[in-house]
Amino acid sequence: MRRPGGKTAGRKGVSALLAAAVCLTTITPGLSAQSRDSSALVSPPPMFRISREPVPGGAELLTVLGRVEGAGDAATTESVPLLSILRDTLDDVDPENDQLRYVWVHGYTTPSAGQRIASAIPFLNRRAGNKDPERDDSVPPAIIDLSDPEHDVWKNVMWIAAQSLLFDPYGVLVKTSVRAFRRNGEDYRKAHIVRALAVLALYEAETGVAPALTPVEMRDIQARLVLAQRPFAGIVNDSYLEEAYKRESADAQDVRGHNWELLRQRCEAEGLYFDPLSMPDGTTTHALVWVARHDVDQTGRRFEKRFLNFASPYGDKRLLDWKGYSETRYFDADGRRVAPDTPGASPVELIPLGLYGLDHPKIPALLIDFRDQNNPKRREVSRRLLNDITRNVLSLSPFGDIHYFLARSVYGFVTGRRGMDINQPSRLRSYAMLKLLLSLDASLNPELSSEIGKLVERVSMNPLQNDGGVEIALAFRSYDVLLAAVREPSGEIAERLKRDRADEFTRIEHGAGAPFIYRLGTVLTAGIYRHREKTPPDSQLARIDLSRRLAYHRRFLEEVVKSTPVVEVGWDIRDIRRSVGFLAEQGKPGDGKNVKLAFRVFERTQDRETRRLCLNGLARAGSPAAREMLARISKSPDVDPDLRALALQAFNAPRGDPMRRAGTVLASSADRQ
Amino acid sequence: MIPRRAAVRRLLLFVMLVAWPLTAAAQTKRLVVIKADGLAHGVVEQMVRERNPRTGQSVLPWIERLFYKNGTRLSNFYVRGMSLSGPSWSMLDTGQHLRIKGNVEFDRYTQHSYDYLNFFPFWLGAVAGKYNDMWGAAVLDDLQIPLLLDAYSYDERYQSFQLFQRGKRIDTLSEGVQKRFTTRSARDLVDEWFLGFDIRGLLHEQLERELITTLDDPRARYLDYYTTDFDHATHHNKDHKTHRAALQELDAIIGRIWAAISRTPQAAETALVLVADHGVNSDERFYSQGFNLVHLLGGRAGGGHHVITKRHLMKDYSIKGINPLVPLITTASEESPYLKGKEDDYPTALVDFDGNERASIHLRDSTLNVLQILFGQLQRPDLSPPVRRAATDAFLAVVDRHRPQWQQTLLELREEVAALQRASETLRASIPPPPDRKKGSSRKDHKVEALAETSEQRDERVRRTARLESWTTDVAEYTAYLATLERLLTATPATLAPGAARVEDLIARHAMGERNRVYDLANYVVGTGPSGLVLAADGSLDFEKSFARIDYFALLTNARVRNNVQRGVTNAPVDFTALRIPCSAIATSADAARADTCVWLDSGQDAQALVLGRTGNDGGLLLKYLPVTRLTEAADGAIHFAPTGWRPGLPLKIWEDEQLAVPGGGDRTAWLDGWHGELEWLHAVHRTLYSNAIIGIHEHFHRADWVTPDAASGDEALMRRLRLRQRAIVEPDLVVLANNHWNFDVRGFNPGGNHGSFFRVSTNATLMLTGGERTGIPQGLDVQEPYDTLSFIPTMFALTGQLDANGLPGPALQERGFQPFPGRVIREVLGPASADRSF
Repeated sequence: MRRPGGKTAGRKGVSALLAAAVCLTTITPGLSAQSRDSSALVSPPPMFRISREPVPGGAELLTVLGRVEGAGDAATTESVPLLSILRDTLDDVDPENDQLRYVWVHGYTTPSAGQRIASAIPFLNRRAGNKDPERDDSVPPAIIDLSDPEHDVWKNVMWIAAQSLLFDPYGVLVKTSVRAFRRNGEDYRKAHIVRALAVLALYEAETGVAPALTPVEMRDIQARLVLAQRPFAGIVNDSYLEEAYKRESADAQDVRGHNWELLRQRCEAEGLYFDPLSMPDGTTTHALVWVARHDVDQTGRRFEKRFLNFASPYGDKRLLDWKGYSETRYFDADGRRVAPDTPGASPVELIPLGLYGLDHPKIPALLIDFRDQNNPKRREVSRRLLNDITRNVLSLSPFGDIHYFLARSVYGFVTGRRGMDINQPSRLRSYAMLKLLLSLDASLNPELSSEIGKLVERVSMNPLQNDGGVEIALAFRSYDVLLAAVREPSGEIAERLKRDRADEFTRIEHGAGAPFIYRLGTVLTAGIYRHREKTPPDSQLARIDLSRRLAYHRRFLEEVVKSTPVVEVGWDIRDIRRSVGFLAEQGKPGDGKNVKLAFRVFERTQDRETRRLCLNGLARAGSPAAREMLARISKSPDVDPDLRALALQAFNAPRGDPMRRAGTVLASSADRQ
Repeated sequence: MIPRRAAVRRLLLFVMLVAWPLTAAAQTKRLVVIKADGLAHGVVEQMVRERNPRTGQSVLPWIERLFYKNGTRLSNFYVRGMSLSGPSWSMLDTGQHLRIKGNVEFDRYTQHSYDYLNFFPFWLGAVAGKYNDMWGAAVLDDLQIPLLLDAYSYDERYQSFQLFQRGKRIDTLSEGVQKRFTTRSARDLVDEWFLGFDIRGLLHEQLERELITTLDDPRARYLDYYTTDFDHATHHNKDHKTHRAALQELDAIIGRIWAAISRTPQAAETALVLVADHGVNSDERFYSQGFNLVHLLGGRAGGGHHVITKRHLMKDYSIKGINPLVPLITTASEESPYLKGKEDDYPTALVDFDGNERASIHLRDSTLNVLQILFGQLQRPDLSPPVRRAATDAFLAVVDRHRPQWQQTLLELREEVAALQRASETLRASIPPPPDRKKGSSRKDHKVEALAETSEQRDERVRRTARLESWTTDVAEYTAYLATLERLLTATPATLAPGAARVEDLIARHAMGERNRVYDLANYVVGTGPSGLVLAADGSLDFEKSFARIDYFALLTNARVRNNVQRGVTNAPVDFTALRIPCSAIATSADAARADTCVWLDSGQDAQALVLGRTGNDGGLLLKYLPVTRLTEAADGAIHFAPTGWRPGLPLKIWEDEQLAVPGGGDRTAWLDGWHGELEWLHAVHRTLYSNAIIGIHEHFHRADWVTPDAASGDEALMRRLRLRQRAIVEPDLVVLANNHWNFDVRGFNPGGNHGSFFRVSTNATLMLTGGERTGIPQGLDVQEPYDTLSFIPTMFALTGQLDANGLPGPALQERGFQPFPGRVIREVLGPASADRSF
C-alpha cells in the first residue's frame, strides 16, 4: 500500500510506530535461527513489493518497499520505502531505449546544519543528534547517478585538488576539518550504498529475477553500487560490470562463510554459545555469542581472547552479578535448541557477550560488547585516529616519506595478516547491515533487539548518522517528497529529467566533454554565454532514442562476442541478427566500433543469415577498416563461396553512395534467402 | 653386438608395430583432455538444465551442446577410493590401482613427507634446474607406473600445470605475465586494475593460449588442460551463484578450446574429454563445519601429542603462513605428559587433513611411548631400586617381545638400503654432465650452446639428478633409523643406567615406528599413570597401573560439539574410523579366513563392520560386508568381535538406504550377507548415500603389489621390495571419516564444501566425451552404467586405438612400460568401433 502524500499527522504516528518497530523489533520469542525453519509451515507474505510511479515526460519511478517485522499493527500493514530508481523510458515500453538514472536510498538525506557542522569537527567521532524528519522538505539526494557514474570520479578528483591546493595550506585546523567533513560524508553515503545493495539482494532473492527490472538492469545497478564504494571506480566500463558484481558477491559470501566458521570454532573452543543471525533470505550476516550463566564461575578456566576480542567471561565479576539481559533457552541431548516443552529439553540461562559482523575481512568484527560498550568504539576509532594524527596533524604521507611508507606497510601487513578488526570500511558495512537486520529479522527477542539497537547507536561515530527510528521516519518523509516532486508536471524530477536529456543530447552531438565545456563557458562569461541546441526538442528525443538503441545493441553484441567463440552457442541467434541488423542499418557509417563488432560477429558465427547481415554492415560502413575486413573475408577459405563473392562485390564497390548501394544489395539478397 | 634374445624381442616388437594398425579400428587420433578438479557431476547436471533468462539457453551452453547433445556423458562415474585429488588423479592418470593414498603422506620411519599438492617447491626447484617431475609423478616413476602422458612422445604431447606434471614450464609463467599486458587495451587494463588483477587467471589464460597454439601442430596427439577453479570456488562458497560463475568460466574455456579444435584439419579425429577427479559435498543450505583434530590430539584428553601437519594451522592468520614451501609444521602441546618441550625431536602424531572430509592419523607406535617413558623414568636418580629393577626388566621385555618384528625390519631394510646405495652409484654414473658455460660467455651464449642438449635430454638429465638426490636422502634417512633400531635391539641393563645413553640413541627422533594395532590404539600409552610406575605383587612392573592410556576409537567416535546450530548437521563430527587389520588375526570368522584384505569400520561400540576382500576364482575381486559389534584386540593379537545382524545405523548405512538395488529386487538381507563381485556391488550400491564406498574402502586399504608381472632379481628385486615397503609405511594408523557437512580442515576454513569422504556427492565425478565425426563417440548418450576412475585410462587408450582386441596395451604402450589395466573399458563411449572387441 502506498502512503498518501501530505497527511503529516497520520504519517507522524506511523513513523513513530515504525521507529519503535525498528528498535523493538520483535517476534516469536523463543526459537533461534536454527529452529526458525521449523516454523515455516505457513508461507509468510512477501517481504518486498515494488511500486511504479509514472514521471511526466516519459519516465517512471520504481520503488522497493519492505515489510518491517515488528510488533503492532502499523508494522505489519505499512511497507517502508527502501529505495527508488528513476528509469527514463522515453515514454514507451520498449526496454532498448531505457536509461536508468538516479537511485535514492530512503533514509539517506541531506544532513541538518548541526550535523554538517559536527561532521567538520576533527576527532569528534560521535553522533550529533538526529535530523528532524518534518523539516526535511527538499528532494532527497540520489546516492548514485547510473547514467553518469564518472561524475563521482571527477567529484573526487576535484575534492582532492581542492583539499591539496586550497584547504591544506591554511593549517592543521582547516585541513583536519575539511578532511573530517568529507570523510564523514563519504562514510554516510557508503553506509547507505551497503544498505541499498543488501535490499536489492534480498529483493532479488525473494522474487527471483526481479520482475520490475531486467536482469541487465539489476546487474548494472548492483555493480555500479559496488563500484561506487571505491573512489575512482566510476570509470569502469559497462562490459566489466557483471564481473565486478560477481567478484564482489563471491568475495562477500566467502568472507561471511569464513567468519561464520571461525566464530563457531572459537566459541566451541572457549565453551561459549554461537548464535548466527540471518537476513530474511537466509544469509547470515551477524552472530551473537553467549555464555551460560552456570559456566561463568569457572574462574580458573583459560580463555584465548584472540578473534573474540573481549575479556574472559570466566570469573568476570560483571557477569557473576549480571543484571542485564539474559535469556533462558532449551537444548536437547544433541545440543540443538528446542522448544521448552520438548521432552528431555534442558534449560540454560544465557548471557550475551558480543555481537559480531561477519562482513569484515578475515575475522568477525566485534560490533557490540555487552559488558564494555567502549570496547568496540575503541576498535572502531583506532585506525581513524592513527590516520588523522599521522596525515593531518603530523602531515606524514606514505607517498612522501619512505620510512613512514615502510612502517605503514609493515603495520598494514601484520594487522591484515593477523586479522585485526580495525579496518574502517568493512566495520561500516557491518554496522549498516546490522541496522537493516534489526529492521527485518523477526527472530530476535524484542528486549534484546532493543538493547542491541541502543548499543549500536552508541558506537556510531558519524555525526551525519541518524538513529534507526529516525531513519525510518526520514525514509517515509523522503519518499513522500520524492513522490510529490515526481507527480508534479513541472516539478524538480521532471525538470531534472529534461536537463539530463539535454546533456545527453549535447554529448551525442558534440562529444562526451561538451556539457562540461559549455557549462564552464557559462561560468566564465558570468552567464552571458549559454549553450542552446538548435535542434527541435522532438528531434532531440529521436536522436537520443536512436543513440540509446545503438548503445544497447552495441553493448549486447560486445557481450556476446566476449562470451563465446561461436555466438549461436549460448545466445539466441535472432537477437544477434536483430542487433547486427540494427547497427548496420542505423549505425553511423564508418563507425569503427560497429565495423569491428560486425567483423567479430562474422568470425564467430556459422549462421549464414547473420553473416550476411555482418557483410551488410561492413559494406555500409565504407571505411578503410571495413574494406580491409571485407577483403579478408573475401579471401578466407573458411567462408562460403557466395558470401566471399558478396564480400568481394562490396569491397570493389566505389566509395560513397555506391558502397551503400552495395550494402543494400547485400541486405536485399539476404532478404531473398 | 646385440644379444640374440634382445634382437628377437626387437624383431617381434617391430612385427607387432607394423601389424598393429591392421587391428586398430579407432579413428580418434588426437585426444584433448580437460581435467577439472572437483567438478561434481550433479552440479553440472543441475546447471546444464538451468536456463539463462536472457537467452533461453542453458547457462552452460557449451557443455550442453558438446557433451549432452553431441557427445556422451556418464551419469554414474565414481572415484574409486577416497575422493581426494592426489590419489584420484594418480588413478586417472595411470589406470592402475592406488599407490598414492593421500594428498600428503608421511614415512613413519623417517617423517619424510610426500606433499603431492604443493606446487611451489616444485616450481622453485624447476627454476633452479633441480626437478623435472612433480612429486606424485616421481613416486610413480619409482614404482615404474607410467602416466597417460607417457604414452606419447615428447613432440606429440602438451601438458598443462597439474599434480602429476612432467617438465618445467617457466616460460609459461613469464609469457603469461607478458601477454596479460600485451593482449589488452590500456582501457581494459585500467578496468581490470579497478576490479583487482586476477593472478590465477593470468596463468590459466596462458595455458589455454598454449594449448590452442599447440592444436595447430599436426604432430600433437595428446593435450590437456587442468583447472582447479571450480574446486576452489566450492571450498570457499556454498552459494549457487558462485558455483555457477565458476562453471560458466569453465564452459567458456571448453567452448574456446572446441572452437580451436574445429579449426584444425584433425577436428574430425579429435576427441574432447572432460574429466574430474571427484565430486564435492557443497550444499547451499549448510556451511561445512570444521573439527580440529590437531587440537583434539594436542589436548589432555587426546594424549597431549605434538602434532605434525603439512599445512599451516590457521594459515590465514599467521605470518609464517605466507611461506609457500610449507615445511613440516609442528603444533606443540602444552599438555604433553612426558615430552613437553621436545616437539622438535619427538612429535608423536602426524596428521593429514587435506581433502577435509577425511583425515589420516599416524600415532607413534605405542610401544615406543612405553619405552621412552620407561627410559625417562630410569634416568631419574631418585627412582627406588625395586622400581628401577622392574622398569629395566620391563624395558628389555618389551624389546624382546618386539624383537622378531624389529629384527626382520632391520635385516630386510638394511639389504634394501644397500641395494639402493648401489643403484644410486649406477644412476650417478649414468647422468650426463650439464652443458658447461664457457668462462666469460654470456647468458645468451650459454643458451645457444645448450641447444646441443634437446629438451627431452635435458628433462631426462634433471629427472635422474632429482632421483639421485631422492635416493641419496632415502639411504641417509633409513640408515640413521636402522642404526637407532639396532642400538635398541642390543640394549642391556647397563644401557639403561642413568646417563649411560641418550634417549635418541635408542629411540629414533622423528620416527613413528611400526603401525599400531587395534589393541594399541584402544590402549594407547600417553604417559605414566596417576601413581607413576607401580609394581605388581611379584615385584614386576604393573603395566596396567603404570601407564595412562587412551582409547582412540572411543575418543573419536564419541566426539561431540556444543554448538549444534544447523538443522540437518549432527553434533558428532566423526562418522566412522577405518583401519586395516590383519585377516589372520580374525581367522576365527569363516569369512575372514578367506579374505586377503580386512578393513574395520568403527562408528561406535555397537555400530561396526568388517569389509573383507579376496580374489575370486576368476581373478576378480570379491567383497563382503560383515556387520559386527564390539571388536577388540587382545594384547596377544587375537581379535574378537560379535557378528551381528543387519540393521540401520551401521557404517555406510547400506541396509536402510532406499537406493540400494539388490539384484532382482530380492531380500536385501540375504543378498548383503553374501560375497559378491565388485561389479555386483557397484550395481547394487552406487546410488546409495555412500555410493561405491565398499569398493573404495577396499581400494584404499588394499596393498597393491608391484605392477609389472615379471619377476626381478638381485638389486632390482630389493629395490622393488623397498618401494613397496615405502608405500606400506606411509599407511596411517587411522583414517577418520567426517559426518555429512563436517570437515577436518584447520588450515583456514572451507565453509563452502568439502570432499574426501565416500559420500556419493563427493565421489560422483564428471566424465563426458565428444568428438569429431570419425571418433565414433555417440551423440546425446547418457550412460547410466556405473564406472569408476579405474576405467578412464583404458577407455582413453581404447578410444585412440592403443589397446588390442583383448583390451591389453598395444605394443607401443608396452614399449613405454604400460601394463594391463585392471579397469573396465567404457564400451558405450566407443560407439560402433568397439563392436568387434572383447574388452
